[in-house]
Amino acid sequence: MVIEDTLFILWLMVAGPLWAAVGLFVLPGINHGRAEADQFSPTTLKIAGLIGGFALGPIGVGLFFFEPALIRRTSLTLGVVLTVFISSQVLVRVIDPNFPSALWLLLAGPLWAALAAYFIPRHYRDLEADDQNALTAAALGGFAIGPLIFGLMWKTTPKINRDWMITLGALGAWQIYALFAIQNPTNPCVALPFAATYLTQQTANGVVIGCIYSLMAVGLTLIYSVQGVVSFAHGQLYMVGGYFSFYFLEHASYHLSELTGSDISVNPIWGIPVAAFIVFIMGALFERVFLKPMHEGLIERVSEYAILITFGFGFFLEYTTLAVAGPFPQKTDRFIQIRRFTLDRYHFNDEFFFGPIHIIGDRAFAMVVGIVLIFALLYFLQRSWTGRALRATSQDRQAAAVTGINPTNMNTLSFAMGSMLAAMSGAALIPIFNWVPWVGAEMVGRSYVIVVLGGLGSVPGALAGGIIVGIVEALGAGCHPDPSRGAAYKEAFALVIFALVLLLKPTGLFGREQH
Amino acid sequence: MMIFRRFESAIDQGIGRRKLGYLVLVLVVLFFLWFPNDASQSNYTKTVFISGFFYAIMSSSWALLAGIAGQFSFGHMAFMGIGAYAAGLIARDGITFAMLGLSIGPETISAFGAIIIGTIAAGAVGLVIGWLLLRLRAAYLALFTIAFSELFRIMMLTEYDYTGGSNGLSLRPLLQIEDVDAARQVEYYLMFGLLIVCLFALYRVANSPIGLFLRAMREDEDAASALGVNVVRYKILVFVFTSMIVGFAGAIFYSDVGSERIIPEQLEILQMSLIIAYAVIGGMESLIGAAAGAFISRYLLEAMRQVVITLPFGMTTYDGSDAFVWEPGYWRFALFGVVMVFTLRYMRNGLLYPIITWFSERDIAMKETVSRRESDDDHAARIEADDE
Amino acid sequence: MKRITLLVSVAALLAMIAMLPLSAVQADGHCEFAEDSIKIGGLVPLSAPGAVAGGVAMSWAINRAADDINAACGVSIDSVNYAVEIVIGDSEGSPERGQAVVERFILEDEVQAVTGVYHSAVGLATMGMLDENGIPTVFSEPWNDNVSANGIMEYDGRPPRNADGVDYVFRVSPASSMVGGVVVDWLLDLGVGNVVIIAENTDYGQPAAADELARFEAAGATVTQINVELGTEDFVPILSRIQAQAETPDVIRVLVTGETSYNLTQQMAELGIAPSDDTICVTNQVAFQSEQYWQNVPDGNYCAFNRVGIIPSLFSDTAVELNAAYFEEFEDIVPSYAMASYDAVWIIADGMARAGSSSDGAAIVAAIETTDLDLSQGRYYFEYGNHNPDLPQGTPAFMWHQWPDPVVTMMQYFEQGQSSLDAAVIFPEVYQTHGSGYIAPGTSP
Repeated sequence: MVIEDTLFILWLMVAGPLWAAVGLFVLPGINHGRAEADQFSPTTLKIAGLIGGFALGPIGVGLFFFEPALIRRTSLTLGVVLTVFISSQVLVRVIDPNFPSALWLLLAGPLWAALAAYFIPRHYRDLEADDQNALTAAALGGFAIGPLIFGLMWKTTPKINRDWMITLGALGAWQIYALFAIQNPTNPCVALPFAATYLTQQTANGVVIGCIYSLMAVGLTLIYSVQGVVSFAHGQLYMVGGYFSFYFLEHASYHLSELTGSDISVNPIWGIPVAAFIVFIMGALFERVFLKPMHEGLIERVSEYAILITFGFGFFLEYTTLAVAGPFPQKTDRFIQIRRFTLDRYHFNDEFFFGPIHIIGDRAFAMVVGIVLIFALLYFLQRSWTGRALRATSQDRQAAAVTGINPTNMNTLSFAMGSMLAAMSGAALIPIFNWVPWVGAEMVGRSYVIVVLGGLGSVPGALAGGIIVGIVEALGAGCHPDPSRGAAYKEAFALVIFALVLLLKPTGLFGREQH
Repeated sequence: MMIFRRFESAIDQGIGRRKLGYLVLVLVVLFFLWFPNDASQSNYTKTVFISGFFYAIMSSSWALLAGIAGQFSFGHMAFMGIGAYAAGLIARDGITFAMLGLSIGPETISAFGAIIIGTIAAGAVGLVIGWLLLRLRAAYLALFTIAFSELFRIMMLTEYDYTGGSNGLSLRPLLQIEDVDAARQVEYYLMFGLLIVCLFALYRVANSPIGLFLRAMREDEDAASALGVNVVRYKILVFVFTSMIVGFAGAIFYSDVGSERIIPEQLEILQMSLIIAYAVIGGMESLIGAAAGAFISRYLLEAMRQVVITLPFGMTTYDGSDAFVWEPGYWRFALFGVVMVFTLRYMRNGLLYPIITWFSERDIAMKETVSRRESDDDHAARIEADDE
Repeated sequence: MKRITLLVSVAALLAMIAMLPLSAVQADGHCEFAEDSIKIGGLVPLSAPGAVAGGVAMSWAINRAADDINAACGVSIDSVNYAVEIVIGDSEGSPERGQAVVERFILEDEVQAVTGVYHSAVGLATMGMLDENGIPTVFSEPWNDNVSANGIMEYDGRPPRNADGVDYVFRVSPASSMVGGVVVDWLLDLGVGNVVIIAENTDYGQPAAADELARFEAAGATVTQINVELGTEDFVPILSRIQAQAETPDVIRVLVTGETSYNLTQQMAELGIAPSDDTICVTNQVAFQSEQYWQNVPDGNYCAFNRVGIIPSLFSDTAVELNAAYFEEFEDIVPSYAMASYDAVWIIADGMARAGSSSDGAAIVAAIETTDLDLSQGRYYFEYGNHNPDLPQGTPAFMWHQWPDPVVTMMQYFEQGQSSLDAAVIFPEVYQTHGSGYIAPGTSP
């Protein structure tokens, strides 16, 4: 571990400003009423505290506290020295393009974000202003514009609306983009004229795969909204869904070919209802035996039990599948016989062009399947009696029970339907990715990201979350300045967003407050 | 049954169950102390035992964190990894402060020094994570720690220039003993000693006033807070404490005691899930139970790689051999999953709970949760009323 | 104590499972076997994170070899027939587990020889222990250059030997330098200048990528290396990035194994990046498993791959038989590591028979050094060993106890759904089956 110039930079960007802030706020306050300090106006004291704290840290603040006589001259000298020193140092470092940007991204940005996230919401609460989104805005702002956010939000305490958030978020995203550009100017994300095509292509990749991801996440969110349980078996249910579809198609194709004497390959679309049916029953049985007692008060510490029991179920499913199906990768036939859809290249003039954009055919089809199923689910939830009953149970169990809905049945239904959706997305994806028994583990991690991002319990949120995760992964892998790492970190980009959302806004972008 | 009752009352009138419990405990410790001296035991069995001790530490410290304090973390393996990786990196590269012209070369850092630095690193990260997790509960906490541990694993895997990627990172060997048998002997006692020390430390915390606060926090955080328990402080404390324990154990285990290098695969969620399963089967609320659960499960999973059942009375199988040979392969993990699920549902306090309760003369877990149970009953009654 | 606990617990657990698959021990009528048998340990990965599919195939091949040897009345030592008994150990692909299993092999199972090993890391970690304990060992799949010549780091022109003057470790799989060289030579012959290497970030992918990268750059080609995590499913963003490169790559080289490599190759083909008119697709050797390959990579026609082991058109009778048996079991073409594992058991058995002992390690090693056997992969012999200790200047140290002739070829599919037995061998020229060094997409030789 080599800590080279970092100490200096840390001081410049973190400790210095911190002590400056201490000097700024503390010095006028503690000197108030002291005879030797009264000769200075509060503004002088503030400026002196700012400069002294920045240059000498605690020593400066202490010095000005004990020897106010020195304030004016020392702060002036320090101010001049500091300005020259810092500007020269910054200039030296700006010449090396990698240094400051990487450091900002890794250290100073997050640190300012953390500081802002810690102090600004408190300030809002002290002023009795609406602090609902202050945390998120402060963190985003701290990351994007560093200490300036204090000036912006501390002084004016604006009401944080959607525009604020979008502006700050865009600013942060733009900054990351700019940093990528500085670090690697040949990065396809920034190198014109191809960048527009490239960004569109990557965004399209993200949207397509994101819609597919959402279908699985919707199941998770449905279970959570009714039961308040995060299913840790979801990935394995997705995996067995794929296997059920695979074995069904294999047998159906074989028997149909035997029967008719010609070579018939059943379209994998038929695997989806089969997998859905089997896993629906599996889910219902599991819920009845293991989760129902939980709602009957037979079990202590319900949330912990729910995590463990679903987790154990997943563990069992994964190894049973491994023992039965073996470790060899499997895949079904494709949905449609079109390899890819291509949007051709258009030239606007000699310099600038757009395209081509490619989308893999089967993926596009799976995306359509995903969207259709999600909208069918939404329709079911909005229009049918059972769907409304489900929603009612998720909003208020007692009230729902009063109107004659049986919450126990709704619990079972929600778990079975959620599992079914996982299995359906498994069956929809086995023509696209090849299938091994541990395929669920990676996928379910993504689903957690999606549901938390979209807000646990919100179906449209899961769709939006899926698309966001898809885009983030595509752009992350596509735009990371180091192509070799970008690919290896693909999963990590979504995880970072996930951790941030959990910390900053656990209700997600579309979620309702926890009940 | 009658015999058992009679035996029970005899014990009660004699030395008393609690004392007998201590006696059994001492016997078990003595057995483990004697074990490596049994010439008929191979080094392989010792290796299995050494890793059993390590996982017992992991499991029992997780039991303190999750079972007693209710902080359902999936990041335990990651903290262990932080300890091991930090120790390895420090021992390999040293530390350089270029600005201060100060450099601590790797040669000045001893193996034990590196382990201590690893422990501190794990504790420091535990502090930050514990602080970040203050706002999160139950499923959210579990999800966050999954993300944290996956991120850590991916970083260790990808930054191979520093961490050695999937080749792993060697730590500085703690022991330098040439002779293989003698080395294994020392490693065995070192790991066993570490287990005893860790269990003792965990036990002290769990049975101090802090332990009480932790339990109160687990049952109802808001109520505990209202009653004056400093929730923030204890939550962070328990994170730092368990992180340091596993960081320490990890750094020692991978300093060529149990294994010569730490590899990122060790940090996979699968490995973490095994630790959780061990703790659940042994009993999440009992430190000894979790440790024993881990040790026994590991031993059985190892022994069940090939199961040979010799038939009695000279019976033979249809092909003439006198034993069934079964290689369960993945079925043993599937079975493990079944055991875990049923343990959770029907013996929530672990398979070893009846034994531990019997010896301790009282129903530990029950007492604590009586009040909770009562309020749950109210809740259940309400739900039933709703159902009708 | 141990036995009783085990028996009781296991009996209880067994009662819980209704299904109990029993493996029948093959008894054979026509041979008289001695009371005790020869034990050979097979160290293979059978659990994650190891390469389970590879381990299953190797374990099958090792057992198959033992069955075949026993069907031929076992190993005859002093005109007594000894049956061969296989003990399989699961390395889980981890060095630490591998060491523990080898320790168990030696101390508990008391094996007389060891074969197998898929992951190089496991080979490197275990070979010292095997050597010190005097266990004759024939590794059948680790590729790392440092595997066979024990302690290559200390190598100073002197054969690596133990105190007793014997080195116990042999290898019948190629060293990775032997393989990487062939792929790069072939591509340089075709005149590629712009190479993209996609490598998994494991102890297989990274050293192999570094080796090939150095070779390409020495020849003046530009190389972009992209690392991916094993288990990644969606490669489209990464492939779009390659597509967006200013210069279209001449070749994409896949150094990714297992199902991840299938996903990558299929998506590459679906996007039309490679194989295409501009870009050659060189996929991983797992493509040789043609049934699996076509199931998982239906668009992978015209992809080339490197193949270790004898080319199908030169399959010996043993190889054809083995392939048929493998096909019956796994419905696929037999992979090279299964063939090598099968042969390794035969080499050990033959060595024991010629040494006239199953326990004198040094004598067995001496006998194996003078092996001359025709098995499934061709003729086996070891050029350098105690029988011929002087490696000429310039010969790499790993040639010590190394089978010098693993055939490394480049193969290419040219018809949809083609069996790898019919695929074209395109490099080196001496083995070419269709008279062509590269079959351009859309053409046929």
